[in-house]
Amino acid sequence: MQELISNFLFVGTGLAFTLKLLIGGLLLGVSLGGLLSVLRYNKICIPLINGIISVIRGTPLILQLSVVYFMTPTIAGIKLNIFSAGIIAFGLNSCAYIAEILRAGIETISKNQFEAAKTLQIPSFYMWRDIILPQVIKNILPAMINEIIALLKETALISTIGGVDIMRSAQMLAAEQFTYFIPLCLAGAYYYALVLLIEYIGKKIEQKGIYDKNA
Amino acid sequence: MIKMHNVCKLFNNVPVLNNINLIIEQSIVGLAGPSGSGKSTLLRCIQKLEVLDSGSIECNDSTGFVFQDFQLFPHMTVWENLTYAPKLKNKTQDQSDSLLESLGIASKKNDYPSNLSGGQKQRVALARSLMMNPRILLCDEPTSGLDVATIVDVVELLQSVRDMGITMIIASHNLDFLTKISDRIILLKNGKIIVDINPKEIDEPTNYLKSNY
Repeated sequence: MQELISNFLFVGTGLAFTLKLLIGGLLLGVSLGGLLSVLRYNKICIPLINGIISVIRGTPLILQLSVVYFMTPTIAGIKLNIFSAGIIAFGLNSCAYIAEILRAGIETISKNQFEAAKTLQIPSFYMWRDIILPQVIKNILPAMINEIIALLKETALISTIGGVDIMRSAQMLAAEQFTYFIPLCLAGAYYYALVLLIEYIGKKIEQKGIYDKNA
Repeated sequence: MIKMHNVCKLFNNVPVLNNINLIIEQSIVGLAGPSGSGKSTLLRCIQKLEVLDSGSIECNDSTGFVFQDFQLFPHMTVWENLTYAPKLKNKTQDQSDSLLESLGIASKKNDYPSNLSGGQKQRVALARSLMMNPRILLCDEPTSGLDVATIVDVVELLQSVRDMGITMIIASHNLDFLTKISDRIILLKNGKIIVDINPKEIDEPTNYLKSNY
């Protein structure tokens, strides 16, 4: 029992790194995704943005992570540390998906909601902030929760470039004790607990937006 | 007062409004006509929700618009729906209580639109437009989807709006409703004005309109 607890704590040393990657990647993903979906309203940018999204969605994340980590010294002459490479790769990857989620969310808002705001002489900034976005956020919440969960699990790929996250800690423990069973189960338990936590928070937020429960 | 001069509007090169010339002064004007005749488009042009292909609409008064499907903001309560826009413009919100009272929905003040019936939503939509103190109110199909008893209420409601000195232009294909409420009825067909009458000056206006439909 004593050993199990110490193993559990050892795998948990990667928890903070995993969470930092998740939050950093998500912040970058939401900002870039928001930017992409706004730029999509500019006709000149559409082909470029569609191209970016297509390439990001069309290549494996592990490849993107390797490109960011191993190729930046050659291309840009910068040596990124593991954490920055992770944030950039995960952020870029999730921004493509988030841009698509946002686009779908905005398209579900009736054109007449925009017109209603216009007839009431509501300026564009306030219309987006107070009329359109609150409805968009409510609509995209389930899809966003999905994306956050997917991103959390994808952060485990950081172990392939040497980042010490939950996955890597479990592998280190396995290498030390010559057994995989307990370390991998513990890592799985950490990820699963985090997913349950994200789901719980998501449900709470969804319940708060009860305004059209009959609609 | 609204002055329209040779108003034309095309959708995909098909004329929806075809050389409309109209002068509308204070009154209740009913816009009748079959579906696709251009009633809603004309209202939307007056409100500047559509850009004209040619001609001009001169309108110096502030306008309000009541949408066919109301378009209340679903994430705001009735009260917030009413007061949000005036607050931004630093306009007074004093009349909101009395408006809700006079429209009979004071008790619904803190409800969300999803908890309201069709007739109640109609009242809130009307009240929301009136909060901006328009001189002209444009109503698109105010009776669609409402039952007969509620339509009677809407007639009273719109008459009380007229008593506030507000000009109204009402698009509807409910001829009985229009003849009951309007001082002037304009029948549109294929984007042209076919009939322009005062329903009080002729016998059986509904039948007269039907024969021209």
